Amino acid sequence: MSTDMDSSSFSRTPPSPRMIGAIHWRGLWTLYLKEVRRFLSVSTQTLMAPVVTGLLFLAIFALALGGAGRQTAGVDYIAFLAPGLIMMALMQNAFANTSSSIVISKLQGNIVDVLMPPLSSAELTLGIAGGGITRGLIVALAAGLGMWVFVPLRLHDPLAVLFYAVNAAMMLSLLGIIGGIWAERFDHISAVTNFIITPLSFLSGTFYSIERLPEDWRFIAHFNPFFHLIDGFRYGFIGHADGSLAVGAVVVLVVNILLWAVTHRMFVTGYHLRP
Amino acid sequence: MAEQAATAPTPRRFGAVNWRGLWSLYHRNVVRFFRFGIEQLGGPAVSSLLFLAVFDLALGGGRETAPGVTLSQFIAPGIVMISMIHSAFENAAAYIVYDKLDGMIGDILSAPLKPAEIVAGFALSAATSALCTGAVVLLLMSLFVELPVHSPAAVLGFALAAALLFAFFGTIVGLWADRWDNYSAAETFLILPLGLLSGAFFPLQAVAPEFRWIFEINPVFHAVEGFRYGFTGQAQGAVAGTAAILALLTLALALLSWRLVAVGYKLKA
Repeated sequence: MSTDMDSSSFSRTPPSPRMIGAIHWRGLWTLYLKEVRRFLSVSTQTLMAPVVTGLLFLAIFALALGGAGRQTAGVDYIAFLAPGLIMMALMQNAFANTSSSIVISKLQGNIVDVLMPPLSSAELTLGIAGGGITRGLIVALAAGLGMWVFVPLRLHDPLAVLFYAVNAAMMLSLLGIIGGIWAERFDHISAVTNFIITPLSFLSGTFYSIERLPEDWRFIAHFNPFFHLIDGFRYGFIGHADGSLAVGAVVVLVVNILLWAVTHRMFVTGYHLRP
Repeated sequence: MAEQAATAPTPRRFGAVNWRGLWSLYHRNVVRFFRFGIEQLGGPAVSSLLFLAVFDLALGGGRETAPGVTLSQFIAPGIVMISMIHSAFENAAAYIVYDKLDGMIGDILSAPLKPAEIVAGFALSAATSALCTGAVVLLLMSLFVELPVHSPAAVLGFALAAALLFAFFGTIVGLWADRWDNYSAAETFLILPLGLLSGAFFPLQAVAPEFRWIFEINPVFHAVEGFRYGFTGQAQGAVAGTAAILALLTLALALLSWRLVAVGYKLKA
Protein backbone atom coordinates (compact mmCIF):
# COMPACT_ATOMS: atom_id res chain seq x y z
CA MET A 1 0.00 0.00 0.00
CA SER A 2 2.84 2.38 0.74
CA THR A 3 4.17 2.07 -2.83
CA ASP A 4 1.12 4.00 -4.07
CA MET A 5 2.00 7.04 -2.04
CA ASP A 6 3.26 10.25 -3.64
CA SER A 7 6.60 10.05 -1.92
CA SER A 8 7.58 7.06 -4.08
CA SER A 9 8.09 9.32 -7.08
CA PHE A 10 10.62 11.41 -5.18
CA SER A 11 12.66 8.88 -3.31
CA ARG A 12 14.25 5.90 -4.92
CA THR A 13 13.42 3.56 -2.12
CA PRO A 14 10.03 4.00 -0.49
CA PRO A 15 10.16 4.09 3.31
CA SER A 16 9.70 0.62 4.59
CA PRO A 17 6.45 0.20 6.51
CA ARG A 18 6.81 0.16 10.24
CA MET A 19 7.06 -3.30 11.66
CA ILE A 20 4.88 -3.99 14.63
CA GLY A 21 5.48 -7.12 16.62
CA ALA A 22 2.84 -9.26 18.23
CA ILE A 23 2.15 -6.42 20.63
CA HIS A 24 2.39 -2.78 19.64
CA TRP A 25 4.22 -1.71 22.77
CA ARG A 26 4.78 1.92 21.85
CA GLY A 27 1.14 2.47 20.87
CA LEU A 28 -0.10 0.74 23.97
CA TRP A 29 2.20 2.81 26.17
CA THR A 30 1.14 6.04 24.44
CA LEU A 31 -2.54 5.27 24.92
CA TYR A 32 -1.96 4.37 28.57
CA LEU A 33 0.01 7.57 29.12
CA LYS A 34 -2.74 9.64 27.52
CA GLU A 35 -5.30 8.08 29.86
CA VAL A 36 -3.15 8.74 32.92
CA ARG A 37 -2.26 12.31 31.98
CA ARG A 38 -5.92 12.99 31.38
CA PHE A 39 -6.81 12.53 35.04
CA LEU A 40 -3.55 13.91 36.41
CA SER A 41 -4.17 17.28 34.74
CA VAL A 42 -7.37 17.73 36.80
CA SER A 43 -6.12 16.07 39.96
CA THR A 44 -8.27 18.27 42.22
CA GLN A 45 -11.34 16.56 40.86
CA THR A 46 -9.90 13.14 40.21
CA LEU A 47 -7.62 12.49 43.18
CA MET A 48 -8.21 15.09 45.91
CA ALA A 49 -12.00 15.03 45.81
CA PRO A 50 -12.37 11.29 46.50
CA VAL A 51 -9.87 11.45 49.36
CA VAL A 52 -11.73 14.36 50.97
CA THR A 53 -15.06 12.58 50.52
CA GLY A 54 -13.70 9.40 52.09
CA LEU A 55 -12.35 11.25 55.11
CA LEU A 56 -15.64 13.12 55.56
CA PHE A 57 -17.56 9.85 55.53
CA LEU A 58 -15.18 8.46 58.11
CA ALA A 59 -15.69 11.54 60.28
CA ILE A 60 -19.49 11.52 60.18
CA PHE A 61 -19.73 7.83 60.91
CA ALA A 62 -17.27 8.13 63.77
CA LEU A 63 -19.28 11.02 65.20
CA ALA A 64 -22.68 9.48 64.55
CA LEU A 65 -21.64 6.45 66.54
CA GLY A 66 -20.91 8.67 69.50
CA GLY A 67 -17.38 7.52 70.14
CA ALA A 68 -15.68 4.19 70.53
CA GLY A 69 -16.93 0.92 71.87
CA ARG A 70 -19.07 -0.33 69.02
CA GLN A 71 -17.77 -3.53 67.47
CA THR A 72 -18.49 -4.93 64.04
CA ALA A 73 -17.06 -8.26 62.89
CA GLY A 74 -14.88 -8.36 66.00
CA VAL A 75 -13.11 -5.05 65.43
CA ASP A 76 -13.83 -1.39 66.18
CA TYR A 77 -16.44 -0.13 63.75
CA ILE A 78 -14.09 2.53 62.40
CA ALA A 79 -11.42 -0.08 61.60
CA PHE A 80 -14.17 -2.05 59.86
CA LEU A 81 -15.39 0.98 57.94
CA ALA A 82 -12.07 2.39 56.69
CA PRO A 83 -11.23 -0.43 54.21
CA GLY A 84 -14.80 -0.26 52.90
CA LEU A 85 -14.47 3.45 52.23
CA ILE A 86 -11.11 2.97 50.50
CA MET A 87 -12.64 0.32 48.28
CA MET A 88 -15.66 2.49 47.52
CA ALA A 89 -13.42 5.37 46.40
CA LEU A 90 -11.32 2.99 44.31
CA MET A 91 -14.34 1.53 42.53
CA GLN A 92 -16.12 4.81 41.82
CA ASN A 93 -12.97 6.41 40.43
CA ALA A 94 -11.89 3.50 38.26
CA PHE A 95 -15.36 3.53 36.72
CA ALA A 96 -15.45 7.32 36.34
CA ASN A 97 -12.09 7.38 34.58
CA THR A 98 -12.75 4.98 31.74
CA SER A 99 -16.43 5.86 31.25
CA SER A 100 -15.86 9.61 31.10
CA SER A 101 -12.85 9.20 28.84
CA ILE A 102 -14.80 7.26 26.26
CA VAL A 103 -18.00 9.29 26.43
CA ILE A 104 -16.13 12.60 26.13
CA SER A 105 -14.03 11.26 23.23
CA LYS A 106 -17.15 10.08 21.47
CA LEU A 107 -19.03 13.35 21.96
CA GLN A 108 -16.06 15.47 20.92
CA GLY A 109 -15.31 13.20 17.99
CA ASN A 110 -11.72 12.50 18.94
CA ILE A 111 -12.44 8.82 19.52
CA VAL A 112 -11.24 8.33 15.93
CA ASP A 113 -7.75 9.32 17.09
CA VAL A 114 -7.86 6.28 19.33
CA LEU A 115 -9.52 3.94 16.83
CA MET A 116 -7.40 4.88 13.78
CA PRO A 117 -3.89 4.08 15.03
CA PRO A 118 -2.58 0.55 14.56
CA LEU A 119 -3.86 -0.69 17.89
CA SER A 120 -5.60 -4.01 18.21
CA SER A 121 -8.81 -4.37 20.19
CA ALA A 122 -6.89 -6.07 22.97
CA GLU A 123 -4.42 -3.19 23.11
CA LEU A 124 -7.24 -0.64 23.20
CA THR A 125 -8.87 -2.49 26.08
CA LEU A 126 -5.62 -2.80 27.97
CA GLY A 127 -4.52 0.80 27.41
CA ILE A 128 -7.81 2.40 28.44
CA ALA A 129 -8.47 0.00 31.32
CA GLY A 130 -4.88 0.59 32.46
CA GLY A 131 -5.63 4.29 32.94
CA GLY A 132 -8.68 3.50 35.05
CA ILE A 133 -6.84 0.90 37.09
CA THR A 134 -4.03 3.37 37.76
CA ARG A 135 -6.44 6.06 38.94
CA GLY A 136 -8.32 3.61 41.13
CA LEU A 137 -5.14 2.39 42.80
CA ILE A 138 -3.72 5.91 43.30
CA VAL A 139 -7.00 7.06 44.87
CA ALA A 140 -7.05 3.99 47.12
CA LEU A 141 -3.48 4.58 48.22
CA ALA A 142 -4.08 8.27 48.90
CA ALA A 143 -7.35 7.59 50.75
CA GLY A 144 -5.66 4.81 52.72
CA LEU A 145 -2.79 7.06 53.77
CA GLY A 146 -5.26 9.82 54.70
CA MET A 147 -7.30 7.46 56.88
CA TRP A 148 -4.26 5.84 58.40
CA VAL A 149 -3.61 9.17 60.17
CA PHE A 150 -6.88 8.74 62.09
CA VAL A 151 -7.50 5.00 62.14
CA PRO A 152 -4.95 2.36 63.08
CA LEU A 153 -4.97 0.35 59.84
CA ARG A 154 -2.98 -2.86 60.06
CA LEU A 155 -2.21 -5.04 57.09
CA HIS A 156 -3.24 -8.56 57.99
CA ASP A 157 -2.69 -10.02 54.54
CA PRO A 158 -1.02 -7.68 52.01
CA LEU A 159 -1.53 -10.18 49.21
CA ALA A 160 -5.29 -10.17 49.66
CA VAL A 161 -5.29 -6.38 49.74
CA LEU A 162 -3.34 -6.24 46.49
CA PHE A 163 -5.36 -8.97 44.79
CA TYR A 164 -8.73 -7.41 45.58
CA ALA A 165 -7.59 -3.84 44.91
CA VAL A 166 -6.25 -4.70 41.46
CA ASN A 167 -9.24 -6.84 40.58
CA ALA A 168 -11.72 -4.23 41.77
CA ALA A 169 -9.97 -1.52 39.77
CA MET A 170 -9.96 -3.82 36.74
CA MET A 171 -13.62 -4.79 37.08
CA LEU A 172 -14.82 -1.21 37.38
CA SER A 173 -12.53 0.05 34.63
CA LEU A 174 -13.90 -2.56 32.26
CA LEU A 175 -17.47 -1.78 33.32
CA GLY A 176 -16.65 1.87 32.66
CA ILE A 177 -15.45 1.08 29.15
CA ILE A 178 -18.57 -0.97 28.45
CA GLY A 179 -20.82 1.76 29.86
CA GLY A 180 -18.93 4.47 27.98
CA ILE A 181 -19.20 2.66 24.67
CA TRP A 182 -22.88 1.96 25.22
CA ALA A 183 -23.78 5.52 26.26
CA GLU A 184 -24.79 7.92 23.52
CA ARG A 185 -25.13 11.03 25.63
CA PHE A 186 -23.69 12.27 28.87
CA ASP A 187 -26.88 11.66 30.83
CA HIS A 188 -26.78 7.99 29.90
CA ILE A 189 -23.51 7.50 31.68
CA SER A 190 -24.48 9.62 34.65
CA ALA A 191 -27.62 7.55 34.95
CA VAL A 192 -25.49 4.39 35.06
CA THR A 193 -23.25 6.01 37.69
CA ASN A 194 -26.14 7.31 39.81
CA PHE A 195 -28.48 4.35 39.58
CA ILE A 196 -26.13 1.35 39.33
CA ILE A 197 -22.53 1.98 40.32
CA THR A 198 -23.08 4.28 43.31
CA PRO A 199 -25.86 2.17 44.87
CA LEU A 200 -23.88 -1.04 44.38
CA SER A 201 -20.75 0.45 45.91
CA PHE A 202 -22.78 1.82 48.86
CA LEU A 203 -24.91 -1.21 49.59
CA SER A 204 -22.41 -4.04 49.15
CA GLY A 205 -21.13 -4.07 52.68
CA THR A 206 -19.06 -0.88 52.71
CA PHE A 207 -20.71 0.42 55.84
CA TYR A 208 -22.09 -2.65 57.59
CA SER A 209 -21.51 -6.33 58.00
CA ILE A 210 -23.98 -8.24 55.84
CA GLU A 211 -24.95 -10.17 58.95
CA ARG A 212 -27.17 -7.15 59.64
CA LEU A 213 -29.16 -7.85 56.49
CA PRO A 214 -32.29 -10.03 56.49
CA GLU A 215 -31.69 -13.68 55.60
CA ASP A 216 -32.81 -13.45 51.94
CA TRP A 217 -30.73 -10.38 51.25
CA ARG A 218 -27.65 -12.01 52.74
CA PHE A 219 -28.08 -14.86 50.28
CA ILE A 220 -28.37 -12.45 47.35
CA ALA A 221 -25.27 -10.56 48.51
CA HIS A 222 -23.13 -13.60 47.79
CA PHE A 223 -23.93 -13.25 44.08
CA ASN A 224 -22.87 -9.60 44.10
CA PRO A 225 -19.26 -9.32 42.90
CA PHE A 226 -18.95 -5.91 44.58
CA PHE A 227 -19.66 -7.56 47.91
CA HIS A 228 -16.82 -10.03 47.37
CA LEU A 229 -14.45 -7.24 46.37
CA ILE A 230 -15.16 -5.22 49.50
CA ASP A 231 -15.26 -8.27 51.76
CA GLY A 232 -11.96 -9.67 50.48
CA PHE A 233 -10.24 -6.30 50.58
CA ARG A 234 -11.40 -5.76 54.15
CA TYR A 235 -10.20 -9.26 55.09
CA GLY A 236 -6.71 -8.12 54.04
CA PHE A 237 -6.86 -5.52 56.82
CA ILE A 238 -8.89 -6.97 59.67
CA GLY A 239 -8.46 -10.70 59.03
CA HIS A 240 -12.19 -11.41 59.04
CA ALA A 241 -14.43 -12.02 56.03
CA ASP A 242 -18.22 -12.24 56.00
CA GLY A 243 -18.27 -14.55 53.00
CA SER A 244 -15.99 -17.29 51.75
CA LEU A 245 -12.69 -15.97 50.39
CA ALA A 246 -12.28 -18.86 47.96
CA VAL A 247 -15.73 -18.30 46.46
CA GLY A 248 -15.02 -14.57 46.37
CA ALA A 249 -11.76 -14.97 44.49
CA VAL A 250 -13.34 -17.28 41.93
CA VAL A 251 -16.36 -14.99 41.40
CA VAL A 252 -14.12 -11.95 40.99
CA LEU A 253 -11.79 -13.65 38.53
CA VAL A 254 -14.62 -15.13 36.46
CA VAL A 255 -16.42 -11.78 36.27
CA ASN A 256 -13.22 -10.04 35.21
CA ILE A 257 -12.50 -12.58 32.47
CA LEU A 258 -16.06 -12.19 31.18
CA LEU A 259 -15.78 -8.42 31.21
CA TRP A 260 -12.46 -8.55 29.32
CA ALA A 261 -14.13 -10.73 26.70
CA VAL A 262 -17.15 -8.43 26.38
CA THR A 263 -15.02 -5.27 26.16
CA HIS A 264 -12.70 -6.85 23.62
CA ARG A 265 -15.67 -7.97 21.57
CA MET A 266 -17.13 -4.45 21.61
CA PHE A 267 -13.92 -3.03 20.17
CA VAL A 268 -13.72 -5.81 17.58
CA THR A 269 -17.26 -5.29 16.31
CA GLY A 270 -17.14 -1.51 16.71
CA TYR A 271 -20.43 -1.49 18.64
CA HIS A 272 -21.54 2.17 19.09
CA LEU A 273 -18.04 3.19 18.00
CA ARG A 274 -17.99 2.82 14.24
CA PRO A 275 -20.91 3.54 11.93
CA MET B 1 -33.11 54.85 9.74
CA ALA B 2 -35.57 57.18 11.37
CA GLU B 3 -36.36 58.87 8.01
CA GLN B 4 -37.64 55.64 6.54
CA ALA B 5 -40.09 54.86 9.28
CA ALA B 6 -43.06 57.18 9.43
CA THR B 7 -43.04 57.11 13.15
CA ALA B 8 -39.99 55.95 15.02
CA PRO B 9 -40.77 53.06 17.35
CA THR B 10 -41.18 54.37 20.81
CA PRO B 11 -38.50 53.10 23.17
CA ARG B 12 -39.69 50.40 25.51
CA ARG B 13 -40.62 51.69 28.90
CA PHE B 14 -39.67 49.90 32.04
CA GLY B 15 -41.03 50.49 35.48
CA ALA B 16 -38.79 50.26 38.48
CA VAL B 17 -38.32 46.55 37.74
CA ASN B 18 -38.03 44.95 34.31
CA TRP B 19 -40.46 42.19 35.18
CA ARG B 20 -40.51 40.61 31.79
CA GLY B 21 -36.70 40.45 31.60
CA LEU B 22 -36.43 39.06 35.10
CA TRP B 23 -39.08 36.45 34.32
CA SER B 24 -37.30 35.46 31.09
CA LEU B 25 -34.00 34.87 32.86
CA TYR B 26 -35.69 33.00 35.70
CA HIS B 27 -37.78 30.92 33.34
CA ARG B 28 -34.78 30.01 31.16
CA ASN B 29 -32.84 28.63 34.11
CA VAL B 30 -35.77 26.69 35.51
CA VAL B 31 -36.40 25.14 32.09
CA ARG B 32 -32.72 24.21 31.97
CA PHE B 33 -33.12 22.41 35.27
CA PHE B 34 -36.16 20.42 34.21
CA ARG B 35 -34.69 19.52 30.84
CA PHE B 36 -32.35 17.19 32.73
CA GLY B 37 -35.07 16.30 35.22
CA ILE B 38 -34.23 12.62 35.63
CA GLU B 39 -30.62 13.37 36.34
CA GLN B 40 -31.23 16.51 38.38
CA LEU B 41 -33.94 15.01 40.58
CA GLY B 42 -33.08 11.32 40.30
CA GLY B 43 -29.44 11.68 41.32
CA PRO B 44 -30.10 13.42 44.66
CA ALA B 45 -33.11 11.18 45.26
CA VAL B 46 -31.07 7.99 44.92
CA SER B 47 -28.11 9.23 46.91
CA SER B 48 -30.41 10.45 49.71
CA LEU B 49 -32.07 7.08 49.95
CA LEU B 50 -28.66 5.43 50.00
CA PHE B 51 -27.59 7.61 52.90
CA LEU B 52 -30.75 6.73 54.78
CA ALA B 53 -30.34 3.00 54.07
CA VAL B 54 -26.69 2.97 55.05
CA PHE B 55 -27.22 4.80 58.33
CA ASP B 56 -30.19 2.68 59.11
CA LEU B 57 -28.30 -0.58 58.52
CA ALA B 58 -24.95 0.45 59.94
CA LEU B 59 -26.11 2.26 63.04
CA GLY B 60 -29.58 0.94 63.72
CA GLY B 61 -32.17 3.47 62.54
CA GLY B 62 -34.66 2.51 65.19
CA ARG B 63 -32.66 3.58 68.23
CA GLU B 64 -33.58 6.91 69.74
CA THR B 65 -31.25 9.88 69.55
CA ALA B 66 -33.55 12.06 71.62
CA PRO B 67 -36.73 11.20 73.52
CA GLY B 68 -39.33 10.20 70.94
CA VAL B 69 -37.04 10.79 67.95
CA THR B 70 -35.46 7.80 66.21
CA LEU B 71 -32.15 8.03 64.41
CA SER B 72 -33.94 7.80 61.06
CA GLN B 73 -36.27 10.66 62.00
CA PHE B 74 -33.25 12.62 63.15
CA ILE B 75 -31.21 12.26 59.98
CA ALA B 76 -33.98 12.37 57.33
CA PRO B 77 -34.47 16.17 57.54
CA GLY B 78 -30.71 16.61 57.46
CA ILE B 79 -30.41 14.58 54.27
CA VAL B 80 -33.20 16.61 52.64
CA MET B 81 -31.42 19.82 53.63
CA ILE B 82 -28.08 18.65 52.25
CA SER B 83 -29.62 17.75 48.91
CA MET B 84 -31.29 21.17 48.80
CA ILE B 85 -28.16 23.21 49.47
CA HIS B 86 -26.27 21.14 46.96
CA SER B 87 -28.90 21.67 44.31
CA ALA B 88 -29.12 25.43 45.02
CA PHE B 89 -25.37 25.82 44.76
CA GLU B 90 -25.11 23.71 41.63
CA ASN B 91 -27.95 25.38 39.77
CA ALA B 92 -26.62 28.87 40.36
CA ALA B 93 -22.87 28.27 39.99
CA ALA B 94 -22.86 25.75 37.16
CA TYR B 95 -25.16 27.79 34.92
CA ILE B 96 -23.11 30.96 35.40
CA VAL B 97 -19.85 29.11 34.68
CA TYR B 98 -21.46 27.49 31.66
CA ASP B 99 -22.74 30.83 30.36
CA LYS B 100 -19.35 32.44 30.92
CA LEU B 101 -17.36 29.70 29.20
CA ASP B 102 -19.78 29.53 26.28
CA GLY B 103 -19.81 33.31 25.93
CA MET B 104 -23.56 33.44 26.44
CA ILE B 105 -23.17 35.69 29.45
CA GLY B 106 -22.89 38.59 26.98
CA ASP B 107 -26.52 38.05 25.99
CA ILE B 108 -27.53 38.52 29.58
CA LEU B 109 -25.28 41.48 30.30
CA SER B 110 -26.40 43.37 27.21
CA ALA B 111 -30.09 42.83 27.91
CA PRO B 112 -31.81 45.70 29.72
CA LEU B 113 -31.44 44.04 33.10
CA LYS B 114 -30.11 45.78 36.16
CA PRO B 115 -27.46 43.95 38.23
CA ALA B 116 -30.04 43.25 40.91
CA GLU B 117 -32.33 41.67 38.32
CA ILE B 118 -29.53 39.47 36.94
CA VAL B 119 -28.65 38.25 40.43
CA ALA B 120 -32.31 37.70 41.27
CA GLY B 121 -32.88 35.79 38.03
CA PHE B 122 -30.05 33.36 38.72
CA ALA B 123 -30.54 33.02 42.46
CA LEU B 124 -34.33 32.67 42.44
CA SER B 125 -34.26 30.03 39.71
CA ALA B 126 -31.58 28.09 41.60
CA ALA B 127 -33.61 28.33 44.80
CA THR B 128 -36.70 27.07 42.94
CA SER B 129 -34.75 24.09 41.61
CA ALA B 130 -33.47 23.40 45.10
CA LEU B 131 -36.96 23.48 46.59
CA CYS B 132 -38.20 21.07 43.90
CA THR B 133 -35.30 18.73 44.66
CA GLY B 134 -36.01 19.00 48.38
CA ALA B 135 -39.70 18.24 47.86
CA VAL B 136 -38.94 15.12 45.83
CA VAL B 137 -36.36 13.88 48.34
CA LEU B 138 -38.70 14.61 51.24
CA LEU B 139 -41.54 12.69 49.59
CA LEU B 140 -39.27 9.69 49.05
CA MET B 141 -37.99 9.83 52.62
CA SER B 142 -41.52 9.92 53.99
CA LEU B 143 -42.19 6.58 52.33
CA PHE B 144 -39.63 4.97 54.64
CA VAL B 145 -39.52 7.20 57.69
CA GLU B 146 -42.47 8.49 59.65
CA LEU B 147 -42.09 12.27 59.52
CA PRO B 148 -44.77 14.14 61.44
CA VAL B 149 -44.68 17.87 60.74
CA HIS B 150 -44.54 19.89 63.93
CA SER B 151 -44.35 23.35 62.42
CA PRO B 152 -44.99 23.78 58.67
CA ALA B 153 -43.83 27.41 58.92
CA ALA B 154 -40.42 26.36 60.20
CA VAL B 155 -40.10 23.66 57.54
CA LEU B 156 -40.93 26.07 54.72
CA GLY B 157 -39.06 29.03 56.17
CA PHE B 158 -35.80 27.20 56.77
CA ALA B 159 -35.99 25.41 53.43
CA LEU B 160 -36.44 28.75 51.67
CA ALA B 161 -33.68 30.46 53.65
CA ALA B 162 -31.17 27.67 53.00
CA ALA B 163 -32.07 27.46 49.32
CA LEU B 164 -31.64 31.22 48.89
CA LEU B 165 -28.44 31.32 50.95
CA PHE B 166 -26.75 28.71 48.82
CA ALA B 167 -28.21 30.09 45.60
CA PHE B 168 -26.47 33.40 46.37
CA PHE B 169 -23.34 31.56 47.41
CA GLY B 170 -23.45 29.63 44.14
CA THR B 171 -23.87 32.89 42.25
CA ILE B 172 -20.72 34.27 43.86
CA VAL B 173 -18.75 31.09 43.15
CA GLY B 174 -20.04 31.09 39.58
CA LEU B 175 -18.82 34.65 39.08
CA TRP B 176 -15.46 33.86 40.65
CA ALA B 177 -14.75 30.57 38.84
CA ASP B 178 -12.73 30.86 35.62
CA ARG B 179 -12.80 27.15 34.81
CA TRP B 180 -14.78 24.03 35.67
CA ASP B 181 -11.89 23.05 37.88
CA ASN B 182 -12.53 26.06 40.13
CA TYR B 183 -16.19 25.17 40.33
CA SER B 184 -15.54 21.59 41.37
CA ALA B 185 -12.90 22.70 43.86
CA ALA B 186 -15.54 24.89 45.55
CA GLU B 187 -17.95 21.98 45.50
CA THR B 188 -15.46 19.50 46.97
CA PHE B 189 -13.79 21.68 49.55
CA LEU B 190 -16.72 23.87 50.65
CA ILE B 191 -20.15 22.50 49.82
CA LEU B 192 -19.41 18.85 50.56
CA PRO B 193 -17.75 19.43 53.96
CA LEU B 194 -20.32 22.09 54.95
CA GLY B 195 -23.08 19.61 54.17
CA LEU B 196 -21.61 16.48 55.71
CA LEU B 197 -20.18 18.21 58.80
CA SER B 198 -23.42 20.00 59.56
CA GLY B 199 -24.79 17.85 62.32
CA ALA B 200 -27.22 16.31 59.87
CA PHE B 201 -26.22 12.84 61.00
CA PHE B 202 -25.50 13.17 64.70
CA PRO B 203 -26.41 15.42 67.61
CA LEU B 204 -23.90 18.07 68.60
CA GLN B 205 -23.38 16.31 71.94
CA ALA B 206 -21.48 13.60 70.05
CA VAL B 207 -18.79 16.13 69.25
CA ALA B 208 -16.05 16.91 71.76
CA PRO B 209 -16.76 20.36 73.29
CA GLU B 210 -13.53 21.87 71.94
CA PHE B 211 -14.60 21.11 68.35
CA ARG B 212 -18.22 22.23 68.58
CA TRP B 213 -17.41 25.70 67.27
CA ILE B 214 -16.65 24.09 63.88
CA PHE B 215 -20.31 23.17 63.67
CA GLU B 216 -21.65 26.34 65.23
CA ILE B 217 -20.01 28.55 62.60
CA ASN B 218 -21.40 26.35 59.80
CA PRO B 219 -24.56 27.92 58.35
CA VAL B 220 -25.77 24.50 57.21
CA PHE B 221 -25.75 23.39 60.84
CA HIS B 222 -28.25 26.14 61.65
CA ALA B 223 -30.32 25.39 58.58
CA VAL B 224 -30.50 21.70 59.50
CA GLU B 225 -31.33 22.55 63.10
CA GLY B 226 -34.23 24.78 62.16
CA PHE B 227 -35.51 22.50 59.44
CA ARG B 228 -35.41 19.47 61.73
CA TYR B 229 -37.20 21.46 64.44
CA GLY B 230 -40.03 21.90 61.94
CA PHE B 231 -40.48 18.12 61.95
CA THR B 232 -39.55 16.90 65.40
CA GLY B 233 -40.36 20.00 67.42
CA GLN B 234 -37.04 19.60 69.21
CA ALA B 235 -34.02 21.80 68.79
CA GLN B 236 -30.69 21.86 70.54
CA GLY B 237 -30.53 25.66 70.46
CA ALA B 238 -32.86 28.62 70.05
CA VAL B 239 -34.76 28.43 66.78
CA ALA B 240 -35.39 32.17 66.55
CA GLY B 241 -31.68 32.92 66.84
CA THR B 242 -30.95 30.33 64.18
CA ALA B 243 -33.45 31.96 61.83
CA ALA B 244 -31.94 35.39 62.42
CA ILE B 245 -28.41 34.16 61.67
CA LEU B 246 -29.54 32.57 58.42
CA ALA B 247 -31.53 35.61 57.33
CA LEU B 248 -28.61 37.96 57.98
CA LEU B 249 -26.17 35.71 56.16
CA THR B 250 -28.50 35.38 53.18
CA LEU B 251 -28.87 39.15 53.05
CA ALA B 252 -25.10 39.63 53.22
CA LEU B 253 -24.45 37.21 50.37
CA ALA B 254 -27.26 38.76 48.32
CA LEU B 255 -25.65 42.18 48.72
CA LEU B 256 -22.21 40.81 47.88
CA SER B 257 -23.40 39.09 44.71
CA TRP B 258 -25.30 42.23 43.70
CA ARG B 259 -22.13 44.32 44.17
CA LEU B 260 -20.04 41.83 42.18
CA VAL B 261 -22.41 41.97 39.22
CA ALA B 262 -22.74 45.76 39.54
CA VAL B 263 -18.97 46.31 39.29
CA GLY B 264 -18.75 43.63 36.58
CA TYR B 265 -16.35 41.39 38.54
CA LYS B 266 -14.93 38.90 36.01
CA LEU B 267 -17.86 39.74 33.75
CA LYS B 268 -16.93 42.95 31.96
CA ALA B 269 -13.54 43.76 30.52
